[in-house]
Amino acid sequence: MAVSEDLFFATIPELNVMLTRLEISAVELTRAFTARLERLGPRYNALALPLTPQAIRKAEEVEKDIKRARLRGPLQGIPYGAKDLLSYANQPTTWGAKPYAGQVFDYNATVVDKLDSVGAILTGKLAMIELAGGGGYRFASASLTGPCLNPWDRTCWAGGSSSGSAAAVAAGLVTYAIGSETSGSIVTPASFCGVTGLRPTYGLVSRHGAMALSWTLDKLGPIAHTAEDCGLVLQAIAGKDSRDPGSAGKSFYYTPQYARPVNEIKVGYAPVDFTERADPDARAAFATALGVLKDAGLQLVETRLPNFPYGPMLSAILAAEEASVFEDLITSGGVNQLADALQIAGLKAAIELPARNYMRAMRLRRLAQQEFSRVFAEVDMLLTFGEEGGALKVDYALDTPPPAPPPPEPIGFQGIVPAGNLAGLPALVLPCGFAGHLPVALQLAGAPYSENTLLAVGRAFQSRTDWHKRRPPGV
Amino acid sequence: MKITRRKLAAAVAASVTAPLLAQAPAPRTPDQELQAARDRMKSNGDKLAAQSVPMSTEPAFQFRA
Repeated sequence: MAVSEDLFFATIPELNVMLTRLEISAVELTRAFTARLERLGPRYNALALPLTPQAIRKAEEVEKDIKRARLRGPLQGIPYGAKDLLSYANQPTTWGAKPYAGQVFDYNATVVDKLDSVGAILTGKLAMIELAGGGGYRFASASLTGPCLNPWDRTCWAGGSSSGSAAAVAAGLVTYAIGSETSGSIVTPASFCGVTGLRPTYGLVSRHGAMALSWTLDKLGPIAHTAEDCGLVLQAIAGKDSRDPGSAGKSFYYTPQYARPVNEIKVGYAPVDFTERADPDARAAFATALGVLKDAGLQLVETRLPNFPYGPMLSAILAAEEASVFEDLITSGGVNQLADALQIAGLKAAIELPARNYMRAMRLRRLAQQEFSRVFAEVDMLLTFGEEGGALKVDYALDTPPPAPPPPEPIGFQGIVPAGNLAGLPALVLPCGFAGHLPVALQLAGAPYSENTLLAVGRAFQSRTDWHKRRPPGV
Repeated sequence: MKITRRKLAAAVAASVTAPLLAQAPAPRTPDQELQAARDRMKSNGDKLAAQSVPMSTEPAFQFRA
């Protein structure tokens, strides 16, 4: 049966309606998606491991359930992809890194099991920056699968480290994907690829079976076409897990019917982000997007970020924790097999980090958390951009020195990505237009466990715009 | 002051790398790379040390018995 191209870009509720009305079968849908993933995934270096036979078997089970009206929720029968730092039993889980190319676990990550239990169909593992880029990296090529190319322009990078997750959603290779973020790894690729990404509150989603990079920073979250899709996926993957010591023991129920009216929501922002920090060719898109939010009734008020050295704080915490996680790799010399020289050096140096730096950073982190509590007593969420502009060129050196020294004090919400990750805050990325031919996005960050409020604003924005429906050319 | 992403790439790069990146020209030999990484770590440590932290502030991790 020929499948319409529109199916590959359909939302979860749209596909759910078609599946439950038996307008398409789970097997047909899975065959179509797996064929597309295998055909186009390599075009973007987005595919780490196809799981087609397993997906078809699962789809056959799901199809029987659906025909017998054993309905398990909106994700049943819908294909998805998982970043290759999530274990899938008896198949390679490479963490995007050569030293782990042959690594096989005999159990599934909790998120994989949770999605399996609601009938979701895992069609493949998706490419990532090696070891999620913890040691730092200079080039997009810091990956076992090569540089992940942006579906909007293959001369550009998809962003990292959840590169394949964002690229696969953007190209319609999966309906949604699971990514991870330690600091920016969902926000950046979602922004660059023009898709919707949700970084959940720290502890909301179990990381059991996921590569550890930084125990106190790592989070797993969905990348999808819409905010609503992200909410539906988060509902399925959130929840207490005794196998994750960082688990908050909380569930998440996506409840748009109980969302506060958006005209009651106060949003803090820094106008300078959009008028000066943003790339010049992105400013018009951001200005239009701000107008949409204002027209929707959101109260935008000028706010300042608490002033902390977020970058050095995050750097110290990440370095200390990753050096402990990967101590054997570093001391054995296996680290030298990594693709990126900056990554290798970063990990080697990290193992020498003085304990006092880690402790000081963790104590400053406590103070920053307290300051963010004060911020969220004044506003419901913070608004800035996902990235300053469109995707970077794929060969761009991320450590290219700036022509002028940075300002002594941060401007606008500079540092919100490490700040939000240090404070464990949820963030939602919403495509909001283009800089030239490349997508740009807004970023909303809220108080811990405010995902439903963020998603309500996301839904309101996406009900008034169609940026999330745009498709890359030629896919 | 107009600051764009390209100008501040080292400070606002796309990932966890951001705080680790240098403002100096990229070195190329492994020894130079390692020394540069150590220098960045030292510089970050100096920035942390410049912050005052009340003695009563506990670090932001939890242990549950």
